[in-house]
Amino acid sequence: MSVGKPLPHDAAHLHVTGAARYVDDIPAPANALSLAFGLSHVAAGTITAMDLSAVRAAPGVVAVLTAEDLPFDNDVSPSNHDEPLLATGEVHYMGQPVFMVVADSHLNARKAARLGRVEIDPRGPILSIESAMEADSRFEDGPRIWTKGDVGQALQDAPRRLQGRIEMGGQEHFYLEGHAALALPQEGGDMVVHSSTQHPTEIQHKVAEALGVPMNAVRVEVRRMGGGFGGKESQGNALAVACAVAARATGRPCRMRYDRDDDMVITGKRHDFRIDYDVGYDDTGRVLAVDFTQMTRCGWAMDLSLPVADRAMLHADNAYLLDAVRITSHRLKTNTQSATAYRGFGGPQGVLGIERVMDEVAHALGMDAADVRRRNYYRAMGDVAGGPAPRPADSPRSFPTEMKEGDIASRGSQAFDDDRAEVGVASENTTPYGMKVADFILHEMTDALLERCDYFARRDAIAQWNAENGLLKRGIAFSPVKFGISFTLTHLNQAGALVHVYQDGSVHMNHGGTEMGQGLFQKVAQVAASRFGIGVDRVKITATDTGKVPNTSATAASSGSDLNGMAVQAACDTIRDRIAACLAELHQCSAEDVRFADGRVRVGGEDMSFTRAVQTAYENRVSLSATGFYKTPDLAWDRIKGQGRPFFYFAQGAAVTEVVIDTLTGENRILRTDILHDAGASLNPGLDIGQVEGGYVQGAGWLTTEELVWDDKGRLTTHAPSTYKIPACSDRPGVFNVDLWDQPNPAQTVYRSKAVGEPPFMLGISAHLALSDACAACGPAYPDLQAPATAEEVLRAVTRARG
Amino acid sequence: MTGEFSEKVDIEVTVNGEPVEARVPAGRHLVDFLRLDLGLTGAHASCEHGVCGACTLRVDGEAVRGCLMLAAQADGADVWTIEGLTDQGACTDLQRAFVARNALQCGFCTPGMIVAANDLLNRGGIPTRAQIREHLSGNYCRCTGYEAIVDAVESVARARAQDGKGARAGEGAA
Amino acid sequence: MYNFDITRPTTVDEAVAALSADEAQPLSGGQTLIPTLKQRLAMPSVLVSLTAIDEMKGITEGPGTLKVGGGTTHGDVAQATKGSFAGLHTLASKIGDPAVRARGTIGGSVANNDPAACYPSACMACAATIHTNTRDIAADDFFQGMFTTALDEGEIVTAVTLKVPEKSSYQKFEQPASRFPLVGVFVAKHADGVRVGVTGASNNGVFRWAEAEEALSSNFSPDAIEGLSVSAEDLMGDLHGSPEYRAHLIKVMTKRGVADAS
Repeated sequence: MSVGKPLPHDAAHLHVTGAARYVDDIPAPANALSLAFGLSHVAAGTITAMDLSAVRAAPGVVAVLTAEDLPFDNDVSPSNHDEPLLATGEVHYMGQPVFMVVADSHLNARKAARLGRVEIDPRGPILSIESAMEADSRFEDGPRIWTKGDVGQALQDAPRRLQGRIEMGGQEHFYLEGHAALALPQEGGDMVVHSSTQHPTEIQHKVAEALGVPMNAVRVEVRRMGGGFGGKESQGNALAVACAVAARATGRPCRMRYDRDDDMVITGKRHDFRIDYDVGYDDTGRVLAVDFTQMTRCGWAMDLSLPVADRAMLHADNAYLLDAVRITSHRLKTNTQSATAYRGFGGPQGVLGIERVMDEVAHALGMDAADVRRRNYYRAMGDVAGGPAPRPADSPRSFPTEMKEGDIASRGSQAFDDDRAEVGVASENTTPYGMKVADFILHEMTDALLERCDYFARRDAIAQWNAENGLLKRGIAFSPVKFGISFTLTHLNQAGALVHVYQDGSVHMNHGGTEMGQGLFQKVAQVAASRFGIGVDRVKITATDTGKVPNTSATAASSGSDLNGMAVQAACDTIRDRIAACLAELHQCSAEDVRFADGRVRVGGEDMSFTRAVQTAYENRVSLSATGFYKTPDLAWDRIKGQGRPFFYFAQGAAVTEVVIDTLTGENRILRTDILHDAGASLNPGLDIGQVEGGYVQGAGWLTTEELVWDDKGRLTTHAPSTYKIPACSDRPGVFNVDLWDQPNPAQTVYRSKAVGEPPFMLGISAHLALSDACAACGPAYPDLQAPATAEEVLRAVTRARG
Repeated sequence: MTGEFSEKVDIEVTVNGEPVEARVPAGRHLVDFLRLDLGLTGAHASCEHGVCGACTLRVDGEAVRGCLMLAAQADGADVWTIEGLTDQGACTDLQRAFVARNALQCGFCTPGMIVAANDLLNRGGIPTRAQIREHLSGNYCRCTGYEAIVDAVESVARARAQDGKGARAGEGAA
Repeated sequence: MYNFDITRPTTVDEAVAALSADEAQPLSGGQTLIPTLKQRLAMPSVLVSLTAIDEMKGITEGPGTLKVGGGTTHGDVAQATKGSFAGLHTLASKIGDPAVRARGTIGGSVANNDPAACYPSACMACAATIHTNTRDIAADDFFQGMFTTALDEGEIVTAVTLKVPEKSSYQKFEQPASRFPLVGVFVAKHADGVRVGVTGASNNGVFRWAEAEEALSSNFSPDAIEGLSVSAEDLMGDLHGSPEYRAHLIKVMTKRGVADAS
C-alpha cells in the first residue's frame, strides 16, 4: 500500500530539471499584455487630482485604468467588501494600488506606472497600536472577550503574581515565487484564469463579480505555487481580477506579476501582536489564572483579520489547562498593509503569549522551565473521563433566512449564529472556549523528547559552561505545541474530488486542494492508489480546476490532506465498489470478498490485473467516474461567545533548541534542535518531516532575524530582500534531529493521519526561549526578550538581565 | 554616440552549447533574456536583487546571478542553464539526490540551488557541511529548512569523490 | 526598463573615450549598480562595461605590496591572498556569496565607496594607493564621504596597490539581510605602526580610528584599547542598528581583529 511510504514529491523530477511550470512560466499567446499597478505614495489621504497622461503616452502602453473604468464590482476583499481593487477617492496605506497600466511588456508596464502623477491631500496616518486605540480605530464594535472561571478572584487569591508584555513583529511570507496571474479571454465573455493562489474558488468568485458574470463563466486553474504560507489565500485576488478586467477590456490575454519590492509593499503579512499578561501562580509553578490582552494591527482592510485574531485567542492556552483565564482581543485598523493569513493564522502569536508566561514564571521561581510546562499540561488522553465531546445535533436549529452577501467560501466570511455550539461544551480538561481536550499526548511526547535529546544533562552542562565563560553564553529551551485542526468557520470544513478510471487502468485524480510545495498532491495520490491497490505511478495528478471540483475551500488551516484525502478516498471507493459489485455478480460471490491489492484484483478464486478488472467493468457498462465529498464531523462553534468545539482534533509537537549568544554584540546561533512531532499515522513520513523542518526554521526566523519596520510616514522600509532577512542555509541549526511520533490519530481522519502544515511552525518558539535562557545566564533579572530577537535586541536583553 | 544611442545591443552568446545571436535591449537582465527571448524558464526571477539565488546560472564556468547581469554583458560568454546542464547530464547525480532526499518542496529555488551546489562540487574534494552551508548561503529556500539540501549535496560529494569523477562532471558543462 | 546604451571597450583608453559621453557611467561587475538601476537611483544614458578590459585584471606582488587590477573579482582576490594576506583574504571571501564574488570587482567597490562596502576599510588600513587612468591617489585622500571619492568625471580606477601588513585581520559584523557590514573593521599591523580602517558605521563613510591606531601601535593587544570608546555622534542609525550599537560594535570588532591577528 502506498500510504505511509516516504515517496518523493510528485513533481520533484520536474523541479530539479527546471521543467516545472509556475504561472509566469506558462507560455502566453504572442499578443499577451502585461500589467502593473500605480501605487499610493502616502499612507492616508484623499486623492485630489490624477494626471495619467504621461503614463498613457509611455512606450508600449495599451490602456490605463482607474476605479472609474472598472465595469462592475471594484472589490478584492475576501470578507468585508472594504478593499477596492483600485482606490476610490481615499487611500489607506502606502502602496495601495491607485491605477493600473496595461502594456506590451512587464517592463514597459512597470516603467509607465511610475510616471503617474497622483496628488493626495495627506492625513495623519494611524500606524501604531497606541494611536489606533486612542482613535478607537478597529474592526468589530469592540474587543472580543472570552472568559473561563473567575479570573479577577483567582488572580487576587494567587500566592504569587507577575505582569509583563511581549511585542512580536509581523512576518513577510517571502514565498520564492511572487504573486502572479494570467487571464485568457474565451468565447462568449468567458474567462480562464491561471493564478498563483491557495484559493481558486475565491479567485473565481472575485473575477466573476468584477466581470459581472456568474461563476460558471469563469474557470480558474492552479497547477502549483512557488510557496504560499497563507500569503496566497486572499492576496492574489487583486492580480487575477486586474488581469481579467484588462483581458475583457482589450480582448487579449493579460498577465501580471509583482516584482519583489511591489509584492512586499502591496501585500499583507503576518499580524504583529502585543500581548500583555497578568498571571497568578503558586510556588510549584502551577498557573492559577491568566488575564491576556492581545492587540494586533490588522492594517487598513478587514481581510481575514477576525478569524486570525480568533485563532490567536484559541491558542492562548497552547498545551496548558487554565482554570481561570480571560482573553481580550483588540483588532486594530491601521494605515498599513492589510495583514493576512500566515502559517499558523494567529496561532503562533497566541502560543508565544502563554509560552512567555511559562518562561517568566519559571524564571521567577528559579525552576526548570520544562518542569513548569509539564506541571501545567492538560491531562493525558487516557486520564480524561468519557470519550470525545458529544456530537452536536445533526443540523442547526436556526437557519439563515437571507442569502449570504459575498464570500461564503472565504475564512473572512461571517458565520451565522450556530446555536448548536453549546451542545459541545464539556466540563473537565477543557480549553478556555469549553472544548474538552480528549487527545492530549504531550506528556508522553515530552518525556520521550527530553530523554532522547538528553535535556537535563545538557542543561546542567550548559550551566557549568556558562559559569566558566564570560563572553559567550549558551541557552537551552523546550517548548510544546498543541494546535487545533479545522477551519474555525465550520462550513469551510468540506471538500470535493473527482476521479476517473480509464479503460487501461490509469487513474485521473482531481480535488479542491492546491499544491504549494507541501506535497499535498502526492499524499492524496497515495490515498487514491491505496484505495485501488495500485502503484502511485498509475495515478495522474492534475491541476486544481474550478471546472472539475467546485466550491472549494482554501488550501489552508493545515486542512489540505485531511479534507481532500477524504474526498478522494470517497470518490475512489465509489468506483472501486462499483467494480467490486460488477465482478462479484459475474463471479457469483459477495462484493465484500473482492480484494484490491498489489495491482491485482482477487474475486472468487480468480486473480486478475487491475486493468483487466477495469476493462471488465467497462464492458459491463459500469461508470468509472465519480465525485467524492467529505465534511468534517462533530464541529460546532460560536465565535462571539467563544464556546464550542471548533476543532476536530489537536496536532501536537515538542522541540528543544540550544543556542549560543555573544554577550558583547548580541550575535547568536542555533547550535542544535531536536524535534518530536505528531503527524498521526503519517501518510508520507518523508514529506511530513520536510514540513516539520521547514516550519521550524520559518518559525525561528519569525522570532529572530525577520524584522518588519515602518517609518513614521507609514512607509515599509524593509521592502526588499536586502533589508528583510529570512533564514539562509548558514542560519539553520548545526545539528537538527527530527522524528515523527507516528501514532494513529484517535479522530477518524484519512488513514488516521494528522495535519502537519502549520503546527511545526510554533516549534520555532523554542529558539526564542533558548535565547531568553542564554540572556538570563548573564544576570539575576528577567531578560524580557522581545521579538524578533535581533542581535541588538539580544544585547539589550543581556543588559536588562544584568539588572 | 551621444544623444543617439540605440538602446539595443547585438550579442553573440553560447547558451547551453548552442550559439545564439540576438538583439536585446541594453537594460535587459540575463535571466529575462533567457526566460522571455529563449523560453528557458528554469531559472526563476524571484527577488531580483541578487539576494535569493533563484536565478543562479553558470556563466564562463562560474555560478552567477542572472538578475545581476545584463544580457549585453554576456556577449561572448558561455552560459548554461538548468535545462542545458540537465541535457548534458552534468548534475544528474545531484538531481537524483535532491529527489531522493526531499531536498525541495515548492521547487521554485531548486534549479538555482542545483546550479550553485554543482558549482561547489565541481571544485572537487568533499566539502564539510559547514562549507556547503556557507556556499549555499546565497540561495534562499523558504520551504525546506535546508537540512535535506545539505544532506543531498554532501551525499553527492562523497559519491563523486569515491567514483573519482569530481573533475569530469565539471567538464561536461564547462 | 532603462533607456540606455551599453558599450564594451577592451582597453582602458577606449573606456575613457566612451566615458566622455554625456551621463556615461562605468559598469564593472554590476553587483551593486544593476540593482541600483532597477530602482532607478541611477539613470545613465550610456553604460561603459569594464569587464572586457584585460589590462585591468590580475594581481601582482611587489616588494611589500600587492597590486590588484581594478577589474579583478572578489573571488580571484580571495584565491590569491589565501595564506599570505589574512585580512584581505577574509574580506574578499566574505563579500556576498560565491555568485556575487564571481562578478563583483575591487575597482567597482572602491569607486562606488558605498559607506558599507568592505574594501575601503582595507585600503585605509593598508595605506593603499588607488591608481586611475590619469594619476595615483592615496587612500586617505581618495575616500571623501558616503559615495564620494576623489575621482573626476570619466576617471577609472585601474588598480589598487595595498601595503601588505605583517599581521592583519578583517572583522565584519553583518547586516544579516544584505550581508554588508553593519560594522567592518580592518586591523593592519605594519612595521611602522598599526592602522585601523572602519567601514559600515559612519555617515561620512570609511574612516580610520586614530586613537586605537595610536594605542595599538605601542601595544598590539586587545587590552590596549580597553579604555577607549567611540563616539556615536556621526555614526549611522537605521533599522539595522542604532548609532550607539554601531559605536559599541566598532570597539568589539577592533578587539576581535587584534586578537585574531596576534
